Amino acid sequence: MADFAPSGEARPGAVSAAALGDDRLQRARLAHLGLASALSIMFIASLSVGATDVSLWTVASKVLSGEQLTLLEHTVFFDIRLPRTALGVVVGAGLAVSGVLMQGLFRNPLADPGLVGVSAGATFGAVAAIVLGGMLPVAVSTWVGAALIPTAAFVGAWVSMTVLYRVATRNGRTSVATMLLGGIAIGALVMAAVGMMVYVADDLQLRELTFWQLGSLTGASWPKLVFAMPAILIACGVGYYLAHGLNGLSLGEATAGHMGVNVQALKRVTILATAAATGAAVAVSGGIGFVGIVVPHLLRLATGPDHRPLLLNAALLGGALLLGADMIARVIVAPAELPIGIITALLGAPVFLWILLRNRAIVDL
Amino acid sequence: MTLHAEGISVVLGDKVILDAVDLIAPVGQVTAVCGPNGSGKSTLLRAVTGDIAHGGRVTLNGQDITALPPWVLSGTRGVLAQHTSLAFPFKVFEVVRMGLTAGTAATEPEIVPAALSRVGLGNYGDRFYHDLSGGEAQRVQLARVLAQIWYATDAGTPRWLFLDEPVASLDIAHQLAVMEIARSYAKQGGGVVAVMHDLNLTAMFADHMMLLKEGRVQAAGTPRDVMTDDILRTTYDCPVRVGVAPAGEVPWVLPHAAAS
Amino acid sequence: MTFVRTKRLAKTVLTGAAFILALAPFSLPAWAEDRVVAIGSSVTEIVYALGQEGRLVARDSTSTFPAAVEKLPDVGYMRALAPEGVLSVNPTLILAEEGAGPPETLSVLENASVRFVEVPDKYTAEGIVNKIIAVGDALEVPEEAADLAGKVAADMAAAAKVVADKSDGPPRVMFVLSTAGGRVMAAGTNTAAEGIIALAGGKNVFEFEGYKPVTAEAVTASQPDIVLMMERAGSHSTDAQTLFAMPGFAPTPAAADARLVKLNPLLLLGFGPRTGEAVRYLADAFHGG
Repeated sequence: MADFAPSGEARPGAVSAAALGDDRLQRARLAHLGLASALSIMFIASLSVGATDVSLWTVASKVLSGEQLTLLEHTVFFDIRLPRTALGVVVGAGLAVSGVLMQGLFRNPLADPGLVGVSAGATFGAVAAIVLGGMLPVAVSTWVGAALIPTAAFVGAWVSMTVLYRVATRNGRTSVATMLLGGIAIGALVMAAVGMMVYVADDLQLRELTFWQLGSLTGASWPKLVFAMPAILIACGVGYYLAHGLNGLSLGEATAGHMGVNVQALKRVTILATAAATGAAVAVSGGIGFVGIVVPHLLRLATGPDHRPLLLNAALLGGALLLGADMIARVIVAPAELPIGIITALLGAPVFLWILLRNRAIVDL
Repeated sequence: MTLHAEGISVVLGDKVILDAVDLIAPVGQVTAVCGPNGSGKSTLLRAVTGDIAHGGRVTLNGQDITALPPWVLSGTRGVLAQHTSLAFPFKVFEVVRMGLTAGTAATEPEIVPAALSRVGLGNYGDRFYHDLSGGEAQRVQLARVLAQIWYATDAGTPRWLFLDEPVASLDIAHQLAVMEIARSYAKQGGGVVAVMHDLNLTAMFADHMMLLKEGRVQAAGTPRDVMTDDILRTTYDCPVRVGVAPAGEVPWVLPHAAAS
Repeated sequence: MTFVRTKRLAKTVLTGAAFILALAPFSLPAWAEDRVVAIGSSVTEIVYALGQEGRLVARDSTSTFPAAVEKLPDVGYMRALAPEGVLSVNPTLILAEEGAGPPETLSVLENASVRFVEVPDKYTAEGIVNKIIAVGDALEVPEEAADLAGKVAADMAAAAKVVADKSDGPPRVMFVLSTAGGRVMAAGTNTAAEGIIALAGGKNVFEFEGYKPVTAEAVTASQPDIVLMMERAGSHSTDAQTLFAMPGFAPTPAAADARLVKLNPLLLLGFGPRTGEAVRYLADAFHGG
């Protein structure tokens, strides 16, 4: 075999790619199909489940046969379950994808927007918009309108993530301990600022805040979907483009640069995309934790860390998982609802501890 | 077609690491950069690959490297760092494939197993990178770099291989194997610049060498010209005796302890 | 409970997943004639006081008096209502205290053409009367409502007379929401606590908006003559001895005379039909000495 064949001559190697452990890529591609079906099943299930007895089948058959829906059926299906289910998919995908992006950027599996203060930054942005929004000049507030809270959440997420990256990364090396501790510090700082906002809020704003901070899909509506969907879809699409660079970044900043990755641009865009997805998710659903850490971790175990298939799979699994959690949230104490954040934390916190236990060495100070 | 670095200066804080160093490395040859610890040899390589801010100018095949975006540069040269960390549980095969997709040969997936075979790890593709020994991991990284610039020339334009102490963690057999890879890359028409610690390996494999001390060039030329008792003694502050290797015509360095 | 609901979840999930294959349509239960959901404790109390409890099909989680109401399904916290949860009890009328939400849920309920009546909530005697009238109108029992409103107004007037007869001037009253962890949460303006203190002829010592934590020094500086608290069961309860031993309270007139007044939370802050009773009790406590 020619060692370094002159261009255009002998081809290298006779060993097939599949024989050399490429099975994970194939498995990841199979997982696209599997998870897409799982998401579809969850989607249909989520449309079928609820406190009322409205049945998807009845609605579907009536729609197909052109029969008139009752008002209850119409409201429950088109004003409640459909926007809520769609928002669940979008928010779940956004949370999972922002987890993948952030972990890729910080080069470790414990980075999660909820754990290291990025969601807190988004929360502060949204809370500040609710409390201080009234102080804006009328011209400005009519111009930004309903986009004020999502925009503020995005800016809050972006600022806190940029600060965290500066704190945790020196000369292209991220210290896991600094990242976690820095994230806790930023989270504490930001939550203090949130506390300040809550303190100055009047009773009406306080009611809005209380509901919003619970973290829930209860307030799902078409207008919310209109804001969240484009932001999160763009973040997912951009993330898919960043995947190759994030793979390179897993070998370190310098090596990624040697391999042709524009590292500075990659970092900037990754931070923006993460902030967009986190900000949009937080703005429409409050703080829903742990999806960003559980989903990527499980997928890396199952199909490997290659970011390209990982991002798509994370979006699919994140959506499916959040729909599942939401179904539990709205049925278990019906006709009331549990905040969905409780369920995702119950599922997610043990996984987080499990990762910590398995990788204890990487966070040793 | 050469690598031409002129007047490279690097200052960190108020410490001068490199002081107007010139390095010329011709295509088709292995050029070694040697020197004692802290002499600035790794810093010189990092300046030449554009990783750190520096004074002076680096041209590769006649083009200023600062004018080339990373994705173009990566098609012309590969860099093997002294240490490479890996963040996620990738398999060996996947690590090498990253080199392939980074370079210009992405249409030839069979380069991945070929590169692994080339470093003697043909059966390691399916292993987890984190399970490898230090030496094996370093060879996987070499395979990744080779996959990136597999063909030593691209339509007549030479490609370059930059190696920072490539044999530091290897046993003698693999030291020879890796240096052999470097030499054959040069023979195929590529350029090779290696920071070397081991003078005897340098003598065996380098066509051209440069000795650095405290950020300045101490001597440059063929190993036979550079490796003399006097030059090595003043460079390393250590008494050495240079002889001729029993197996060939290359210099052979024997350090001995200072007289008590 | 949970088990049954989990089974129901599983069943519904299966139903949904298999909807493409399923054949038989489900039938909906017929809408009952008159099904009322009461949101907010005072509204619920008024419904009971008007004798209309038979029409209730659900309540929110703040509605816990009278005890019988707890047997009704709970549709969740009044400010975090889930639209489908509310619709699932097939309501024909939702009677909600001002402040129920979130707005998204209210707009869905509006789309579903469920009659929604928001009952204004003002912390004054007139506010309670208006509330009762509003509930009575919504339930179409105006005579009963007028009777009840009259009774409540009479209670209030009696209390006002007690207050007016005393010439000792309004005592300074501090309402303490909680002292958890040594942190004192007290009531400021625009609160139910301020309203009831005023009705009982006292003067609230703080002038900030809403309920806020206050420092020990602020407590001392405000010089309350009386401390008012909610009566709670179990470990949340604070007795006079513990309270007045706290650093901020020790040097106040209230501590000197050990004047701590406690009342059941719904009675104290509910602003419902029993508020007259509460005002009478407080007026005695404030002025009786």
